[in-house]
Amino acid sequence: MKKGLIIAAALAMAPTLATAASFQEAFESNRAMHGNDHVFEWKGGKYHTNHEEEMEARVKATKANAADLLAKAKAKNAEVAKLGFEWKLTGGILKDAQKAIDEGDYQKALNLAAQAKYHARIGIQQYHYAQKNWHLSVPE
Amino acid sequence: MKIIKTLALGLTVAAATQMTHAADTGFDMQTVDPEADRIALQKYFKSRFPESDIADYVNGIYAVDAGSREQWEELEEFPPYEFDVEQGEELFNTAFANGKGYADCFENGGIGIRQNFPYWSKEEGTVKTLEQEINECRVNNGEEPLKWGKGAIAQISAYMAWTSRDKVFDIKIPADDERAKAAYLDGKKFFYAKRGQLNLSCANCHVQGSNIAIRADLPSPQLGHVTHFPVFRSKWGSLGTLHRRYSGCHKDSRSKPLKPQAEEFRNLEYFQSYMSNGLVANGPGSRK
Repeated sequence: MKKGLIIAAALAMAPTLATAASFQEAFESNRAMHGNDHVFEWKGGKYHTNHEEEMEARVKATKANAADLLAKAKAKNAEVAKLGFEWKLTGGILKDAQKAIDEGDYQKALNLAAQAKYHARIGIQQYHYAQKNWHLSVPE
Repeated sequence: MKIIKTLALGLTVAAATQMTHAADTGFDMQTVDPEADRIALQKYFKSRFPESDIADYVNGIYAVDAGSREQWEELEEFPPYEFDVEQGEELFNTAFANGKGYADCFENGGIGIRQNFPYWSKEEGTVKTLEQEINECRVNNGEEPLKWGKGAIAQISAYMAWTSRDKVFDIKIPADDERAKAAYLDGKKFFYAKRGQLNLSCANCHVQGSNIAIRADLPSPQLGHVTHFPVFRSKWGSLGTLHRRYSGCHKDSRSKPLKPQAEEFRNLEYFQSYMSNGLVANGPGSRK
C-alpha cells in the first residue's frame, strides 16, 4: 500500500519537476536534442532553439551586413581575450570571415562571424562561471 | 548507552574537524593557505592511489600506473635526454663574447640550484623562473635571448636540473610580501578554472582525471608535475621546457594558448612548484 502511494506521488511530481527547469536548461536541452530552428514550449510560451548570433546572421547577405557582424564579433572576441579566456579557433574563424567578405561570399562571412561571436560570448560566460566556481574542484 | 553517546560525540568532533579542514586551503587573499593546499593535495592522491608513495610522484604517471611504468623503465635504460644534457653542459660552459658565462649569473655557479626555482623576486615584484634567468643572463652579457620552449634553453635547463637531482624543492612564499601570495593564488586559480572550448581546467585532467584514459593517454597527477622538467617527450621527439608543455595543455583545452613565460604561466609554475615542496628534483625526465 505504502509503496503504491510513493509511486503515485512520484508520478504526480514528475511533470512538476520536468517544468522546474530554468529557461536556460530548457533551451540547452532542446538545442542539444533538436539542433537549431526547433520550437519548444516553456512555461506556456513558445521559443526557438537558435542562438542569438544565428539570428543576427539572418539578414540580407550584403557586404555591409557581413562587415557589421564581423566587427561585432571582433569586438566581442577582444572582450574575452582581455579576460584571458579566448578560445583557440576563434581568431582563425574571424580571418576566414574576412576572407569570405573579400571574396564576395557574404552569407559565408555572416555565418562565420556569427560563429566567432558565439565563441566569444560563451567564453565570457565561462570566465564569469570560473570566477564564482573555480574553487569547487580544489581538494580539501 | 554511554558507548553510543561517546561514539556520537566522537563522530561529531570528527565531522567538525573535517568541516574546519574543508575550509582550510582558502580561495582568496584573506584565507589562502599554501601549506594546507599542499597537504590536502597529498591526502587526495594518497586516497586515490593508496599503493603509491608520495615521494614517487616525481615520476608522474609512472608512480600510479604499473603498465606505463614498465615501459618507461625500459626507456630509461637509454635515456633519450642524455645527449641533450651533454649538449647543455657544453653550452653552459661556453663563455659569452664578453668572457663571462652562465656560472657568473647564478648562485653556486648555477650548479645544484634547480630546486630553488621559481622564486618570488621582491625587487621585481614578480615570479622568476630558471629559463627566464638563463635568458636574462644572456641579455645582461650582451647575447641574444634564446627562444623559449625548446632547443638550447631546454638543454641548458636540463643540464642545470641534472646537477640538482635529489635536491629537495623548498619554494618560499615570503610572508612579508602580499604580492607573492597573490601570485600563488593566481596560479592556483588558473589551475582550477575551466577554460577553452572543451571547458576543461588543468585539474580536470591532472587531479580528478589523473590516470583516467583520455583516448590512449593517461593524464599524470598534478603532485610532482614540475620536478622532472625539462622533459624529452616522445610525442615531441625533443626536449622541452615546462612552459612549452603549459602552452600545449592550454591549447588542448582549445584555449588560445599563452606564450611561454607569460606572467600567468609563471604564477602557475609557482603554485605547482609549491605543491611539489618536499619532493626531489629529478629532471630532466622522459615522457610519452
